Amino acid sequence: MRDRVVAMAERGRSDQKEDMEKAPSRIDAVPEEKLIRALMNAFPEAITGFTKLKEGFVRAKLDRREIAKACKYLRDELGFEHLSMISAVEYDDRFEIVYHITSYQNKLLLELITRTPKDDPSVDSVSSIWGGANWQERESYDLMGIMFNGHPNLERILLPKDYTFHPLRKDFKG
Amino acid sequence: MKDRGDQSAGQALAFHSKDFLKWCDEVLEGILRRSPVGSGLDYITKDFFNWATRNSLYFLHFGIMCCALEMAVASAPRFDQQRFGIIPRSSPRQCDVLLVNGPVSKKLKPVLRRLYDQMPEPKWVIAMGECAISGGPFYNSYSVVPGVDQFIPVDIYIPGCPARPEALIDGFLKLQVMIKENRKGLLTGK
Amino acid sequence: MAEMWINMGPQHPMTHGLWNLRVKVDGETIVDAQPEVGYLHRGIEKLCEGKTYPQIIPLADRLCYGSSLTWSHLYCMAVEDLMNVEVPERAEYIRVLTIEMQRIVSHLMWLAAYAGDLGLGVGFVYTMREREVFLDLFQALTGARITYNFPRIGGVAHDLPPNFERDTLRAISYFEGRLKEYEDLFEGSKIFMMRNVGVGILKKEDAINMGVTGPTLRASGVSYDLRKDRPYSVYEEMNFNVVTHKDCDCYARYRVRMDEMWESCQIMKQALKKMPKGKVRIVSPRNAPVGTGLARVEDPRGEGMMYIVGDGTDKPYRVKIRSPIFVTVSAAPKILIGYKVADVVAIMGGLDMCIGETDR
Repeated sequence: MRDRVVAMAERGRSDQKEDMEKAPSRIDAVPEEKLIRALMNAFPEAITGFTKLKEGFVRAKLDRREIAKACKYLRDELGFEHLSMISAVEYDDRFEIVYHITSYQNKLLLELITRTPKDDPSVDSVSSIWGGANWQERESYDLMGIMFNGHPNLERILLPKDYTFHPLRKDFKG
Repeated sequence: MKDRGDQSAGQALAFHSKDFLKWCDEVLEGILRRSPVGSGLDYITKDFFNWATRNSLYFLHFGIMCCALEMAVASAPRFDQQRFGIIPRSSPRQCDVLLVNGPVSKKLKPVLRRLYDQMPEPKWVIAMGECAISGGPFYNSYSVVPGVDQFIPVDIYIPGCPARPEALIDGFLKLQVMIKENRKGLLTGK
Repeated sequence: MAEMWINMGPQHPMTHGLWNLRVKVDGETIVDAQPEVGYLHRGIEKLCEGKTYPQIIPLADRLCYGSSLTWSHLYCMAVEDLMNVEVPERAEYIRVLTIEMQRIVSHLMWLAAYAGDLGLGVGFVYTMREREVFLDLFQALTGARITYNFPRIGGVAHDLPPNFERDTLRAISYFEGRLKEYEDLFEGSKIFMMRNVGVGILKKEDAINMGVTGPTLRASGVSYDLRKDRPYSVYEEMNFNVVTHKDCDCYARYRVRMDEMWESCQIMKQALKKMPKGKVRIVSPRNAPVGTGLARVEDPRGEGMMYIVGDGTDKPYRVKIRSPIFVTVSAAPKILIGYKVADVVAIMGGLDMCIGETDR
C-alpha cells in the first residue's frame, strides 16, 4: 500500500516539469503597452486614465456601467484569470471601488478604479465572472454598505445578521 | 406507560420520564443536599474529592486567537501540562475549566455564554491573555466586548499578550491552590 | 434517507480556528456546505484609522497569529510603497531570513494540528518539539514567541544578536535531518495516507476561478508563487524552486508544504551567506503623502495584499487587507461536496486555515 501511494506521489512530482501549463488565453505575453492598447480599443469611453505605476502594474479608471462587460473581456480575451482584491474606499463626495486583477501567465497586475456617487453606492457584481469575488463583495457590503447588483447572496458575513450599521463609513464613530 | 393500579413502593418505576426527574430532584435533593446525610458524606469525602478535582482539571478545547496557540503548545513536550493532570476535552459536558483565550466579539458572546451554561458544576473560568481580561489591543473596537468578566464570572486572570505557556501552567497551579483552600464539598456545595 | 443540516462549530475539536461549518448531509455524504465566519471580527481596519503608522505594526501582527511576521512585513512594505522609502539592503536580507523562518514555523504548526486531527498524535508531539527550536531563535532575535513586532517602516527594529548565524545554521541542519524522518513517519502510516490520497479534489480551473492561492493552488498544478513571479524584497537574488504537484487532493497539499519547508531552509542558508554589512533601519517620514500604496507577499497560506490610502497626515485614511484564507474558505463548498463527514477534517485541515486573518 505504501509503495503504491509513494509511487503515485513520485509520478505527480515528475510530471510537473512537463506539465507546467498555465490557464489558456488568446493573447500571449502581453506587456503593459499591449494591454493598454487592447483595452483602449475595446472600451474607448469606459476605461480611461491609464497609468503605468511600476513594471507589470497598470492602473486605469473604469465607468461603473461597463464593469460586467469589461471584466468578462478581461477574463476571456486578455487572460486575467485571478481577481485578487475588491476594496471600497469612502471619500467626501464619492465611493471608490478598486479591483485588483492578476494575470498568471502574463504576470500583470491591473488596478481598476470605479466611482459611484455618495447617495447611490451600487455597482454590478462580478461574482459570476470570478467566483472568488463572492465573499469579497459580501464583505464590502457588510462593512461599507456598497450594493452589488446581481449578487446571488448579498448578506452580512463578518458582523451579526441583525447589525444595523456599516462600520467602515466615516460617519460611524464606534 | 403509567400504571395507575400500582400505588406501592414501586411507584417510582411507573412515572413518565419528566415526572421521574422531578421525583429524583425532590427525593435525592432532600436526602443529599438538605439533610444531615449529605453533610455527613461531604465531611468524610471532601478532602479526597477536592484532591481528585484539583489534580485533574479538564479544560475545554476552545481556541479563539493567539493565546490559543500557547494553549496548544502547553500540551507539547517542552511545557507538558499533562503532568499536572490538565488535559483538553472536546465536549463542554466533560470539562471543569473554561479557558477563554482571545477577544470576545459580539457575535461570539452568546456562544460563549451557552458553553458556560452547558458545563456542569463545579466549574471555574480562567481568562487568559489581555484580550479576555479587558479587550486587549482591541479595547476600543466596535465589535469586541471589553473583557470576558462582563458576562461570565472569572476566577483566575493570566496577563500577557500572548501569555507564555509557563504563565498558563502557573495559572492552573494557582487555581489548584484556590480549590484546595476553598474545600467545597461536592454534594452540598458548601 | 432524510437530509439534515449539521453544525460543525463554532466550538469543535478541530483546532483550526473559530468558525462554523454547516453541512447538509444525506446519510454520511455531504450534499451542501455553508461556512460561517465572523466570530473573531475585531474591526482592525477601523482601528487602523485612528492610530499612527508605527502604532499599527503590533495590530498587523495579530492579523494572522500563525505567521505574524509576514503580515507586519506586508504592512511595512505597503507603507514604504506609499511613502516612497527605500529600505537598506541588510534589512532586506534580515527580512527574507525571518520571513522564511516564519514560514517553517507556520507550516510546522499546521502539520502539528493536521496530524493531531487525523489521529496521528505522535506527529503533533514531534513537530511541536521542532517548532520550539525555531521559536528559541525568534526569542533571541525579537523577544517574543508568536507576535514579534519586529519590522519597522524603513527596515527592521534592530540588528541580529551575536552568534545568531551560527545558531541558525545549526538549527537548519538539525531540522533538515528531522524533515526526512517526518516524511517516513507520515507516509508510512496507512491511516494517514488513506485519509489523504484521493480526498478533497480541487480542479485547476476551479481553483483559479475561485481565487484560491498559495499551497492549495500549487497542489492543483498551477505554478504561481509571488516570490518568483513578482519578486519583492531580495527574492530575485535567491535560488529556489517553486513546488507544485499534479494530484489536486489533500496528499498533494501536504506534499507541497513539506517540500516548501525544505526550500525555505535553502533560502535561509543563502540569505545568511549573502547578507552585507550596513544599517538596518532608516528614519521614515512622519506624515504620508496623499496617494495609495500597495504591497503583496507570499504568505504561507497564499497571497496577502494590503492597500493603504494616505491623506497627508500621520494616520492612514483607509487600510484594506486581503486575506488568502477568506477566499479559500469560500471555495470550501466546492471541495467538500460528495465526500463523507469524516473527510471534513482532512479537507479543511489541509487548507491550513487561520481565522484571525479571515475575520480581521
